[in-house]
Amino acid sequence: MVKAVPTPIRVAAILFVILTGVFLLAPLVVIAGVSVSESQFIAFPPTGFSLRWYEAVFSSDAYLSAAWISLRVALLVTVTSCLIGGAAAIALHRRKLPFSGALSTLFLSPLVLPTIIYAIGMLMLWSALFGPVSILTLWVSHTIVTTPYVIRTTLAVLSESNPFLEEAAQTMGANRFQRLRLVVLPQCLPGLAAGTFFAFNISFDEAVLALFLRKPGMTTLPVQIYGQLEFSPDPTVAAVSTIMIGLTVLLIFLIDRMLGLQRFAST
Amino acid sequence: MTMTDRAENTLLILPGLVLLVLAFFVPIAQMLVLSVAGENGPTLAHFQRFLSDPYYLNVLWRTVRLSAIITLICALIGFPLAYIMAHVSARARLWLVIMVILPLMTSVVVRTFGWMVLLSRSGLIPEVLRDMGLVGRNFSLMQTETAIVVGMVQVLLPFMTLSILGVVTRIDRRLEEAARTMGCGFLQTLRTVVLPLSAPGIVAGSLLVFTLSASSFVTPNLLGGSRIQVLAASIYRSVTQTLDWPFAAAQAVILFVGILVLLMPYARLSGRTNG
Repeated sequence: MVKAVPTPIRVAAILFVILTGVFLLAPLVVIAGVSVSESQFIAFPPTGFSLRWYEAVFSSDAYLSAAWISLRVALLVTVTSCLIGGAAAIALHRRKLPFSGALSTLFLSPLVLPTIIYAIGMLMLWSALFGPVSILTLWVSHTIVTTPYVIRTTLAVLSESNPFLEEAAQTMGANRFQRLRLVVLPQCLPGLAAGTFFAFNISFDEAVLALFLRKPGMTTLPVQIYGQLEFSPDPTVAAVSTIMIGLTVLLIFLIDRMLGLQRFAST
Repeated sequence: MTMTDRAENTLLILPGLVLLVLAFFVPIAQMLVLSVAGENGPTLAHFQRFLSDPYYLNVLWRTVRLSAIITLICALIGFPLAYIMAHVSARARLWLVIMVILPLMTSVVVRTFGWMVLLSRSGLIPEVLRDMGLVGRNFSLMQTETAIVVGMVQVLLPFMTLSILGVVTRIDRRLEEAARTMGCGFLQTLRTVVLPLSAPGIVAGSLLVFTLSASSFVTPNLLGGSRIQVLAASIYRSVTQTLDWPFAAAQAVILFVGILVLLMPYARLSGRTNG
């Protein structure tokens, strides 16, 4: 029989986890606290309780238009990265193409390259070819950085699926399109869904590409917040940030439903 | 009409491949070209300017130094955290995974804002330190390297933890049990069995954290201010403020090469163990 973990170490481990949890979550809790404070200065712990900063957000043109741009970009990115990444993942999973190992590495390379290097390259290329940046620039570049996530989650699901179902469907007379639609696509679905939630979250929260590829009148929510933080942060920034944290919590819940967070954590 | 398997797979992969080449590899090539662009053909002047100016060398050194400190702290916290996550009940593990993923998926801008509130002069942490009589009245942690390290560790710890967790969960528990039955103490087992077996995860996590740390500018800019510049912040300034794009490209190439040099031995090493 193995000796159990010694009690002092057990206590130390529990303390360590609590402290780490406080460290990881403190910034988020503090922002939520500031957002409901009555004080017009950023202060924590908050004084009183008021929702006036949320009202201020919803009556601010700057925030609303930034949110609208972020939402549009994120939705477009979600659709394209889901279609492109899902299709690529199916082909990569079959491993029948020449150089399929190298192709996988190629498709996941945007995960390895620091975003700032890509952002600067994209800005320079776009300016040289097409002039000023537009929503299209953000759409394309966010699709590049989010597609690897869709590929990864889809591949994770496919690797556990039954490879003989597709063969069985073929034997039963299903044509290529039917096999893709009726067998492979349903097999992909949980991974694809989790990947699209990741894609949405990353695009909606992304600041580096958005800071490099911006122009007056095209400010995403994270860029708007960054600008406020550089100059004059007030509790409305905290209210917007809290709304964004809430959205992240919702997406994590959805990903857990689709794929299981445990599985994501160990891949 | 019949279609071969090959054609079907090619059709599936083609949109992604075309996008990747045109919108990812071509832009990077464009950056490389621009970094040596001069009025009279290719030049290394932008690199020369960076490498001969003490100010920029200092920026580079600060970037490397802070990234190393951040990576070390992340590893020191990340390893025990991942080990604990792998050994608790499934239910507790789910909560710990949420604890790590929630900050990971929250926008960096938002998280950094949280630290601005906590570290500023009227913030919670300086206030507590003042009440304890440890620091003076005007003490603030904002615009210091400490603030950058604290903020960056919080931003990057999830990456380290998840990298190590992936490896730790695959370690055969019987090895630990064997070491314990042979008379090893708990900490001795951890040091002689678990730690060496977790090394691939720790190395992978450290490379990831170092890379991300060396290339980030949002948190260093907001917490360190304009006086404490890091390489990525300097690139951002060259692009948006001084509008010196070739110089920005040259700095990005220096960052790029530094990261490649760091990653290359690792890629070769992991390629060998896989193959």
